[in-house]
Formats: sequence, structure tokens, C-alpha cells
Amino acid sequence: MAWEVIEPSLVRARSVSKRYGRALALDRLTLSLPEGSVLGLLGPNGAGKTTFLRLVMGFLFPDEGEVDRGGLAPGQIGYLPERALYPSRLRVREYLELIGRLAGLHGQALRDKVRRLLAELSLEDAAGKRLGSCSRGMLQRVGLAQVLLGDPQLLLLDEPMLGLDPSGQKLMRDQIEILHKGGKTILLSSHNLGDVARVCTHVAMLNRGRLTRSGRLDTLLPGRAEVTISTGPLPPGLPSAIRSLAPGILASEGHIKLVGDAVQRKTEVLRLLLGADVDIQELVEAHATLEEAYLEATQG
Amino acid sequence: MSRLWTLTLYLVRELFGALAGIVPLAAAVAFGLIAFEYGMDQAQLITVGGLGIGTIGFLATLLLAGKADRAASFPILGRLRRRAELLGSILVGGLGITWILAIAIVVANLLAGRLTLSSPSLLWIMPTWTAVWLFVTALALSLSALVSRNGSNLLGYLLVVAVLVANDRKADLLDRGAGWAVRIVERLVWPVGTLLSRASAEVHDQTYFAAAAATLACAAALFLLAAFLFRDKDLLWSE
Repeated sequence: MAWEVIEPSLVRARSVSKRYGRALALDRLTLSLPEGSVLGLLGPNGAGKTTFLRLVMGFLFPDEGEVDRGGLAPGQIGYLPERALYPSRLRVREYLELIGRLAGLHGQALRDKVRRLLAELSLEDAAGKRLGSCSRGMLQRVGLAQVLLGDPQLLLLDEPMLGLDPSGQKLMRDQIEILHKGGKTILLSSHNLGDVARVCTHVAMLNRGRLTRSGRLDTLLPGRAEVTISTGPLPPGLPSAIRSLAPGILASEGHIKLVGDAVQRKTEVLRLLLGADVDIQELVEAHATLEEAYLEATQG
Repeated sequence: MSRLWTLTLYLVRELFGALAGIVPLAAAVAFGLIAFEYGMDQAQLITVGGLGIGTIGFLATLLLAGKADRAASFPILGRLRRRAELLGSILVGGLGITWILAIAIVVANLLAGRLTLSSPSLLWIMPTWTAVWLFVTALALSLSALVSRNGSNLLGYLLVVAVLVANDRKADLLDRGAGWAVRIVERLVWPVGTLLSRASAEVHDQTYFAAAAATLACAAALFLLAAFLFRDKDLLWSE
């Protein structure tokens, strides 16, 4: 990972493995979280994203390897859980004041901070509501508000857009951008590639507990061409023969896609197609998007 | 200190805002009615009250630990400097609930004329009960599912039950030639047993203070055991 060489890290995971019984959740994962970055963790369900966040939080401990939080003071992490399970009987304001006190705020400073956050996150009308009667979107905003209390150095957001309506998603994105500009380090997991592309500076893709791709977003995608070939019917066995040329080749009926390094095998693919007398209808070369990079990194 | 107090109030409020909060209250009412039915003097109060209300404190501590043992605690734990702060707040909460229920039971029975307190040595009840209940709440904490690892709490419960049964059947054990077991059990129950019996007899000598110190040392050891078990435990609370 090139960024490790030039950017100081707040958290560094070295060859971390984690098992739940026999299931391997993380497999020798090495990943660092550059200070001041917004790192998006991408991956399908069960890829190990939440496990990694909980390892960083110190809720879980690695079976092998280590998570170094050397640059981080204890209690200086704000955590937004994936599913907003909060104490249902507490009211929104009471809950925020509880977290604020634990974060070291007191008296007028605490009240002012809570009032400001309620206003910024459009929660003023909900301040007196019990958490158990709040909607999913409202709870997600309460979750973000509690994350921001006490000015933590590191924010861990597990699926922050989950369950939010479009305006809630925009609010969340805007807040993440504001926090990033304010110098905060953010680690977030998401299934929403559009959001990650918009707010993240770095991306790490996980699949079955392994890191399959990572890098700065601005260096991960440009220059990575993709080739899409539209064809007539493929004879049996040819799709698998094409796929076996390189890991980044997706071949299905009438549609072949070469992504990343697999683009270098374009000539061989065409040779195979022509050799099998397949009708080649169209060949399109384009730059890869985050979606393609994600699919490439998580399939296989 | 401020964080400990904040956490304690939060957990106590969570407990008494839930159905589970009825358990220590109902137990206190039942104990207050049944144990004092035929009246009680100060000597009986120190031993019976110490153990009976201590048992309610044990339950209350387990329930408080249960309130902390869930996914809603994730954001809270993220703000703590040490996980032991959460355990400390449970201990303080358990002890506080026990004392409040004890005062309610004692006052209610005094007003009902079923309890006689006369001696000036009444003041010795406070340090005596505090030491015993610190031990009891620390024991409950170390046996709670919150800190349990690989079924360590089940093993703990088995040991506690074994000690209590063996203490009750000492004569049988001696008849069967298990004098060694009797000696072990006597040593284990000595601090709390001696503390309560001396206080009950209004004897506050060196043995009383040695028993109090031993009880507090056991409480500290149990708290450290709980902190050790919880320190690097994987928290697998499901969201």
C-alpha cells in the first residue's frame, strides 16, 4: 500500500486474523488508517468489515497479528454502530448528555454542545423523544450526534447511510465532508459505492476476510481501463476458458468484461473468440468505475 | 469519578426502568415481611440482614451487569479509558442499591415495631455490612455473564454452591473423613462469618478488624479477577 509509505497512520493493523469458532472472519489483514483520511471499507456481507471496525474499537481482539492504536488516546473514538440499538427508555437529549459526560464535557459546555448538535442534525424537535420511539433515520442522526461529542480523534461509522432517506443520506455525507475538512480521521463501512466515491479519500476492499484491493481513491481508478466485448452466442466451455486467462475477466453469455490487469489479455481473448468463430458485435474500452473495481475485487 | 458516577446512574436507571427492576424491589419487600415477621433484635439484624440483604445485592449486581452486557453499550465503552470503569460503576451501583433497600427495610420494620435497635454499637452495622456487601457485589460481578469467559461463571457458581453445601454439612464431611475439606471451607467462610458474628456479639476486637480486612481483600481480589477476565474479552454483542 503506497499510502503507508508517505502518510502517518493513526491505526495500523498488521497481519490480523480473527475467527468466530471455525469461521474465519479476517485473514491476515494488513491495513493502515492514514491520519486525516476518510477510509471506506467495501465488501459484501460477511466480508469482515464490522469485525475490523470492532477490532479497531478494541471490542474484539485478534487471534493473530496486532492492531496498533499507538497514535490514539484512550476514549478518543466515536463509534456509530451498524444497527442503532440505543437505550430505548432514554430521551434523545438525555442520551447525548450521557455520552457527552463520558467524553469529558460538563455543565454549560455540555448543554451548548448538545444544543448545537441537535440543531445541526435537525433533531431539535426530537430532543424530548424516547430513543425507543424514534424512527430509523432519526436514530442514525442521534448516532452521528453521539459520535461527534467530545471531539474524538477517530470516528468509526458502520454503514452510516443504512436506513436513511435521500435527505438523511445527504446530511450524513455533508457531515462527513465537514469532519474531514476539520481534520478528523474517519473509517466507514458501506455498501453504497456512490457514497464512498463521494466522501472517501481512501478505499479498502475486503472479500471473505481478505484485503483484495486498497489505495487512495484518486490513484485507484484513473488509468485503469476496462474492455467490454459484446458477442453472439458462445460455444459451451468457451466462457470458462476465457475466464481462466486472468482473474479479472468476467465472461457470460454474449458479454465479456476485462477489468484491471486483465485488459492486457485482450488480444488473447479476441484470438479465442475468433478461433471459435464467435460473432464479435462490439468492443468498448473505458475507464473503470469504483463499481467495477469493487466487483473485480470481491468476485472470485 | 465523574464518569463512574455518570455510568452508575445510567445503569441503575436502566435497571429500574425495565421489568427486571422489580426483582430486587420484590425481593426486598418479601425479605422485609418474612424475615421480620416475628420481630428481630439488633444482633439478629446484623447477621440475618447482612446475609439476606446481601443476597438481594447479589441479584441487583447481576441485573446491573446484564444491563451493561448488550450492544447499546458499544458507544459507551468507546468513550471509556479502561473497561474496568464499567465494572466499577456496576459495583458502586450494586452496593448503592443494596444500601438503599437495607435502609428502607430497616426503617419500615422500625416503624412497624418489629425491630429493636437500642445499643450505641448500632454504628458498627455500617462498616460491617459495607464490607460484606462489597464482597457480595464483587462476587456477583465476577460471576456475571458480562465478564464470563468460556463458562468461567458456571465454574464459579459450582464452587460457590459447593462451599455453601459443604459449610452446611461439615459434620457429615468429618464423619466421612474429609477433614481437609472442612478446613478449606472454614477458611473460605471465615472472613464474612467472623465479621458478622463478632459484630452481632458487639465484639469489635482485633479479630473483628482482621475479618473485615480479609473480607475487603477478598472483595478486591474478586474485582481484580472480574477486571482481568473482562479486560481483553471479545464483546460479541449482536446488533
